[in-house]
Amino acid sequence: MKRRSLLKAAAVICGAAPLAACEDFYSGVTRDMMGQKIPDNLELFSDINIDPIHHLLSRAAYGPWPGELDEVKTMGIKKWIDQQLEPEKIDDRACDVRARRFETIHMEPGSCFEFKKEVLRRDIVRHTLLRAIYSKRQLLEVMVSFWTDHININLDKGDCIYLKPSDDRLVIRKHALGKFRDLIRASALSPAMLVYLDGKDNRKSGPHDVPNENYARELLELHTLGVHGGYSQKDVFEVARCLTGWRLKGEWERGVVYFDPAFHDNGEKKLLAKTIPAGGGEKDLDRILDILTRHPSCAKYISTKLVQKFVADDPPTSLVESCAAEFSRTDGDIKSVLRVLLNSTEFQESKGGKLKRPFHFVVSSLRSLGADTHAHDELIEYLQRMGQAPFQYPTPDGFPEEPGPWLGSLLWRWKFALALTRGQVPHVKVQIRRLAKSICGEGDFDNTKLISYFLGRRPTDVELQTLQEFQKKCPPSIPSLSRKDEDENEDEEERPHDAHREELLGLILCTPAFQRF
Amino acid sequence: MGEERSRRAFLSKLVLGTQQVVENAGGHTLVCIFLRGGADTLNMVAPYGDPTYYKVRPTIAIPAPGKKPNSGLKLDDFYAFHPKLAPLLPIFHSGELGIVQGVGTDNPTGSHFDAQDQMEHGCAYGMPVNGGWLGRYLRTRVGEQLTPLSAVAIGEVIPESFRGSPVTTAIRAIDQIHLDLPAEDTDAVCAALSKMYAADVGILKEPGSSTVQLLKRVEKLKSKSYKAEQGAVYADDRFSQGLKEIARLIKADVGLEVACLDLDGWDTHFFQGGAEGLQASLIDQLAKGMSAFYKDLHAYNRRVTTIAITEFGRRIYENGSLGTDHGRGFAFFAMGAGVSGGKVHGLYPGLQDDQYDLGPGGMKITCDYRSVLAEILAWRKAPTAEIFPGLDMKPPGLIVAS
Repeated sequence: MKRRSLLKAAAVICGAAPLAACEDFYSGVTRDMMGQKIPDNLELFSDINIDPIHHLLSRAAYGPWPGELDEVKTMGIKKWIDQQLEPEKIDDRACDVRARRFETIHMEPGSCFEFKKEVLRRDIVRHTLLRAIYSKRQLLEVMVSFWTDHININLDKGDCIYLKPSDDRLVIRKHALGKFRDLIRASALSPAMLVYLDGKDNRKSGPHDVPNENYARELLELHTLGVHGGYSQKDVFEVARCLTGWRLKGEWERGVVYFDPAFHDNGEKKLLAKTIPAGGGEKDLDRILDILTRHPSCAKYISTKLVQKFVADDPPTSLVESCAAEFSRTDGDIKSVLRVLLNSTEFQESKGGKLKRPFHFVVSSLRSLGADTHAHDELIEYLQRMGQAPFQYPTPDGFPEEPGPWLGSLLWRWKFALALTRGQVPHVKVQIRRLAKSICGEGDFDNTKLISYFLGRRPTDVELQTLQEFQKKCPPSIPSLSRKDEDENEDEEERPHDAHREELLGLILCTPAFQRF
Repeated sequence: MGEERSRRAFLSKLVLGTQQVVENAGGHTLVCIFLRGGADTLNMVAPYGDPTYYKVRPTIAIPAPGKKPNSGLKLDDFYAFHPKLAPLLPIFHSGELGIVQGVGTDNPTGSHFDAQDQMEHGCAYGMPVNGGWLGRYLRTRVGEQLTPLSAVAIGEVIPESFRGSPVTTAIRAIDQIHLDLPAEDTDAVCAALSKMYAADVGILKEPGSSTVQLLKRVEKLKSKSYKAEQGAVYADDRFSQGLKEIARLIKADVGLEVACLDLDGWDTHFFQGGAEGLQASLIDQLAKGMSAFYKDLHAYNRRVTTIAITEFGRRIYENGSLGTDHGRGFAFFAMGAGVSGGKVHGLYPGLQDDQYDLGPGGMKITCDYRSVLAEILAWRKAPTAEIFPGLDMKPPGLIVAS
């Protein structure tokens, strides 16, 4: 109750205050009153293998927030997974304070047309990034990213930028942990998708009209069966025929979807050797979704992608099979499949074998430092430079999950890591000395402890040697962490920079191991 | 002699890192442009001599060469350029731009991603080969002291065609290559990065070491000091700016062997337009970029070959929303060194839809894409049988015999 009135007060204050002051206030509230503060002591690891909880939080979340490991340890892995699978029961108000304030993300498709494109783009990207960094519903955020790629929409095509905010809310976020068929159906009738893959122009109004196959092909190839899922070019054509007639309203009701029988091909169709009788009209959509989402290729394809996302780029067959079986058994219940996946031995044994994509790298860096950000342009710019600015992947296959395409992003990862720890990313605040003190205790930087905090395991000899050599060349400019005259609550920015220590922490974020998860 | 001198002069204009970067001076550069999305080359190199063309494309066909403002630009008695390809017309007529018609893969999926993947790997459908075709080519060049600037992708992502290459760099612009640290700390940070990445036992070892080398080699190359020659003007779009960066690297003699860049957006299912419209604006970008690049590199064109490829052409007929769906064969463009230009090579397959076993297809393929790529690499004395294993090579004659 107290917290609620505080939030109300915040809303009132921020209605009148300049934006920057507002953001400082939100930062203060979430840090001091809502649990985003860096704890005084942080759990460390002495094993040569990555800690199982660190592993879980790197895969099913975007890396541990300072202190989160201890929380999960107390609660137990299984309970954490169960809790994450019911995100609506997790109190996420601290994240809401930062992420919910962008007005366009709450709007109906039609209302967004009143906003400038730059506003819409900024709002949805900031919202996504802030949720990934601060949400306690981390598994939900990881799955939101998975489905956003799976049924990708590029903001830069046609009117997509006006329609994606509601797609993000009503398709992706609503169904991210729901039933697969509901997700695909919502996507099929999402105004953004109807624009992105030309569904709104797929019509048969005269005898010579040929359907537009764009959406039909991707529905089969990317959304449900996979390119080797056993369909033919004829099947693509037939699905396109089934989906003729879905349209979007114009001028006064922009963003409203309707079915126009006069534009529908009402003849008989055949899909994957099954007949869809003539005269089905708009029901054709449900007929094809029944056929596609219950097809064994679909269970296998979705399971393969999930196992690639959470376990290994070369997915273990045994786990793909058990996930596919669960997918079929539960008629595509995403939660059930994830429960099987995250509790499997294959998952537990796959530590550190995947390459973080740039978004994951940036978010996990910010989380590990307990950074304070409101996701301004300068931060987004780094993602752009690394090749993964949210919602800007041009083609319908979404950002790739496999490591190959990302191997060229190291330069910008290093630039980001070093700028971040040195406090050089504008509007992103990090408390390096405070964090180091929580990790190392009173005394000087302890490289072993620092590495183990960030990597979830004991350092290798090379890692330790490298940091020692660096320190020899670039010794700390301020003697130790235990200077008594430091005021804990004083803004870290006010103090003189300890450049070499900041670079050392940056180097840890630059290590090959921190690029992996 | 004169050429040698001008290269030195260029080098002296560049502010380089501690090491001198003149490896492979005077070597050839292959520039690969990928038109992603499946470019409708039937409207770029329009077969105006075939009446079927106008029958199957009633609204989007390019008018035959003539006096109308939007008519095609005559190449010969059968083919005409899209009007937006005008900047490339003089290069074509000067014999330095050549085209092969009917090129394609045997990929039956109709999928952008599968077809691009196959093409970048340089294999036949269902017969995977290790790495990308340029990766394999670069592997055969390891005796040439490859540096991170030997294989450059313009952009953020390393293309699949470079997979397996001993070196690769992805950059948007040369000016980005620095760490933003105080000069005295940069060396220590680079040494640390070098040590950690050299010790990596996985896939990060090579890119990590390449990136450190890159940082050491190119500390500063100032953007403002670059001036295009011959009055060439690069447009502000990413494609043209990317070509400018490539030109800059070529002139700097840093040993650039292969450069890749993409021009996206060719997936014109909807309202693609004809002489004007969606596709026309892409063609405009392509032509302006390529012609600026050609002009700027006038003195270097004997050692630069530029190709433009796409994953498939589009359906022969237009669809109900005035666009075209995925097809098969396409026209391949090559410009510069070694090219037998001024001619559309290859067999015109006619405009009957080449049906797959099941369902519609596109223009029939009369030339395996690998034969074209192999012919270009063969001219550079590459062991093409090694790079394209199992290829029944039938060179289309795009390259002048040398």
